[in-house]
Amino acid sequence: MKIGKSYNLWGWVFISLALIALTLFILYPIIYSLYLSTFSTRGFLKTFVGFGNYKRLFQDRNFLLSLKNISIIFVVQIPIMLFLALIYAFLLNDPKLKFKGFFRTALFLPAVTSLVAYTILFKMMFSTDGLVNNILLAIGIIKQPIRWLLDPFWAKVTLIIAMTWRWTGYNMMFYLAGLQNIPNEIYEAAEIDGANRRVQFFKITIPLLKPIILFTTIMSTIGTLQLFDEPMNLAAGVVTGSSVGPGNSLLTPSVYIYNVCFKYVPNFGYASAISYVIVLIAAILSLIQFKVVGERR
Amino acid sequence: MKKVILMLLIISMLIGLFGVVNAAKKVTIWCWDPNFNVAIMEEAASRYQKLHPDVEFEVVSMAKADVEQKLNTILASGVKRGLPEIVLIEDYNAQKYLQSYPGSFADLTREFNYKEFAPYKVKLMTLNGKVYGVPFDSGVAGWFYRRDYFEQAGINPEDLKNITWDEFIEIGKIVKEKTGKYMISGDPYDGGLMRILLHSAGTWYFDEKGNPNIANNEVLKDALKIYKELFASGIMKETSGWNEWVASFNNGEVASVVTGVWIIGSIKAEKSQTGKWGVLPVPRLDLPGAVNASNLGGSSWYVLNNSENKDIAIDFLREIYAKDIDFYQKILIERGAFGTWLPAQNGYAYRAEDPFFGNQRIFLDFSEWLKKIPSVDFGLFTYEADGAIMGVMPDVYNGNLTIDEALKLAEEQFKNTLGF
Repeated sequence: MKIGKSYNLWGWVFISLALIALTLFILYPIIYSLYLSTFSTRGFLKTFVGFGNYKRLFQDRNFLLSLKNISIIFVVQIPIMLFLALIYAFLLNDPKLKFKGFFRTALFLPAVTSLVAYTILFKMMFSTDGLVNNILLAIGIIKQPIRWLLDPFWAKVTLIIAMTWRWTGYNMMFYLAGLQNIPNEIYEAAEIDGANRRVQFFKITIPLLKPIILFTTIMSTIGTLQLFDEPMNLAAGVVTGSSVGPGNSLLTPSVYIYNVCFKYVPNFGYASAISYVIVLIAAILSLIQFKVVGERR
Repeated sequence: MKKVILMLLIISMLIGLFGVVNAAKKVTIWCWDPNFNVAIMEEAASRYQKLHPDVEFEVVSMAKADVEQKLNTILASGVKRGLPEIVLIEDYNAQKYLQSYPGSFADLTREFNYKEFAPYKVKLMTLNGKVYGVPFDSGVAGWFYRRDYFEQAGINPEDLKNITWDEFIEIGKIVKEKTGKYMISGDPYDGGLMRILLHSAGTWYFDEKGNPNIANNEVLKDALKIYKELFASGIMKETSGWNEWVASFNNGEVASVVTGVWIIGSIKAEKSQTGKWGVLPVPRLDLPGAVNASNLGGSSWYVLNNSENKDIAIDFLREIYAKDIDFYQKILIERGAFGTWLPAQNGYAYRAEDPFFGNQRIFLDFSEWLKKIPSVDFGLFTYEADGAIMGVMPDVYNGNLTIDEALKLAEEQFKNTLGF
């Protein structure tokens, strides 16, 4: 008993540093920003507005537009990316595959590049007279250059392509790890039963990877809600950088928070309210995903 | 062992955070653009050090967004440490900082003779009758054009001195037809040209009281019409981002550039085009009160009230930026920085002929146009208004909305952003 107590005490001592750091740098900002979100601020001038910021949010077209923008990414980009990642993982997991190390590295490599660097690279490649248009024109797929970053629709397409390039390999790694846990016997048995690769993929791989698919979906959802680097850099403007992408087509909540804090008249209270709503949305979406994917367990 | 190292690391970081001890007479300056503001400030610092060898300077070079971010967080948190003595603020943002962080910037009304500075610059940094900054560079706008292309198209630049934007578009069509070159280039969603148009008519997004003036703003309607026509007529090459824009005139794709004087450095970077460029006054809107002179950008120096060596910083700015004529000549020649301290404009550099511009005395012209720039109050919300207007531009370009409808929507959007 006595030993247990002193162990306990030492345990607390050892974790105290981390705990203090956690309280100071994570817990305190979380609580303070909740408090701050009840004020409308201009610099250090504060006015108490109670729930005013939250009411204002739902009439703020820019905020609603930013939600609309990310929900398009949410609906289009995440499924494409995760499905691609699954297929890559499935192919890479094939024991007969040659040059496995090369393919694995090649697919994972984008995930280690810096967000800003790759976005700037994509911005260059997708400029109107950039590499991508030149190639497409040369092989005759298009007659006119596509206005990638000058048209609201194509700007989103560019963003989706860029993000898919960057994040597919990252998600693939989770699936690859998950596939190691699926015993090969199952596939062998299926093969004997006459199931081809497609059937194996849909009937064995996907169901058995469900928990990992859930995990990657939630991570991607949260990642999308916090999307910042890519739109910010793709939209980096000329002289004034007036809108985030053509017609604010790349405006995301995080970029909006940044603008409210640093580009517009600084309103940290309102920005806190936005971030709280984002947290709430992330929580709700994660909960829904848990329910949908996990129902049969 | 790892924990100990980690602890030591954290402790040393904390010491680093709180233990910054400034040297006795050290002036810290935050600004952006290593080839422009930073280099100019270093030049100014070395000049001051010759007079006062005991003063140390630290010119910190950051991205513009980083300067704004750091300034915002540090002022909002209310800490008194870690402040620079001097900070560079873009003119469009001046009132925003002055009104959001009252008392944070030193009142310089009695420290400088503001009659010696360009009046429109002084107005931008005046709040309740007090002046808070030292006017620095001007963004006086010019219409840079390619002499060779215009000649090829059979256009005499002498006839273009006081034209309207409608005439500009017509000439652009001739240039496009005869030379195959675009008249101008730009990002369809950039508000730079919009600001030039508005400023040339002495109007902004707000009225005198600071209320939004968007939906029924005749100047804005005209400006939107010109934006639409520039792209619809095919004389404007669409670019995205700064680099593409600069490339479009460096590689000779466009016949002219309408922007602030600070672009000279980028134009002259293409040495092979020496002698091929000239400068004209910007076109004007076809409206009463509109002039052939405007402004885009420009920034000024501000002294932070709670900084340690505030008095030295003020003395430094006065000694160099309000006294040293030679300094202004040097930064004009080396950096293309067009100062707004008027006595400097009698110096030799402002009269010099520039072979790059076909021996035109361009800065003499710019000084003339500078005096004509209407005084405009940018208010606090320029970026919000820009964002709202550029947000509706896709629908203006594709004709989904008429200009009146678009501006009405933009005003609503703007009010949303502000939470009116």
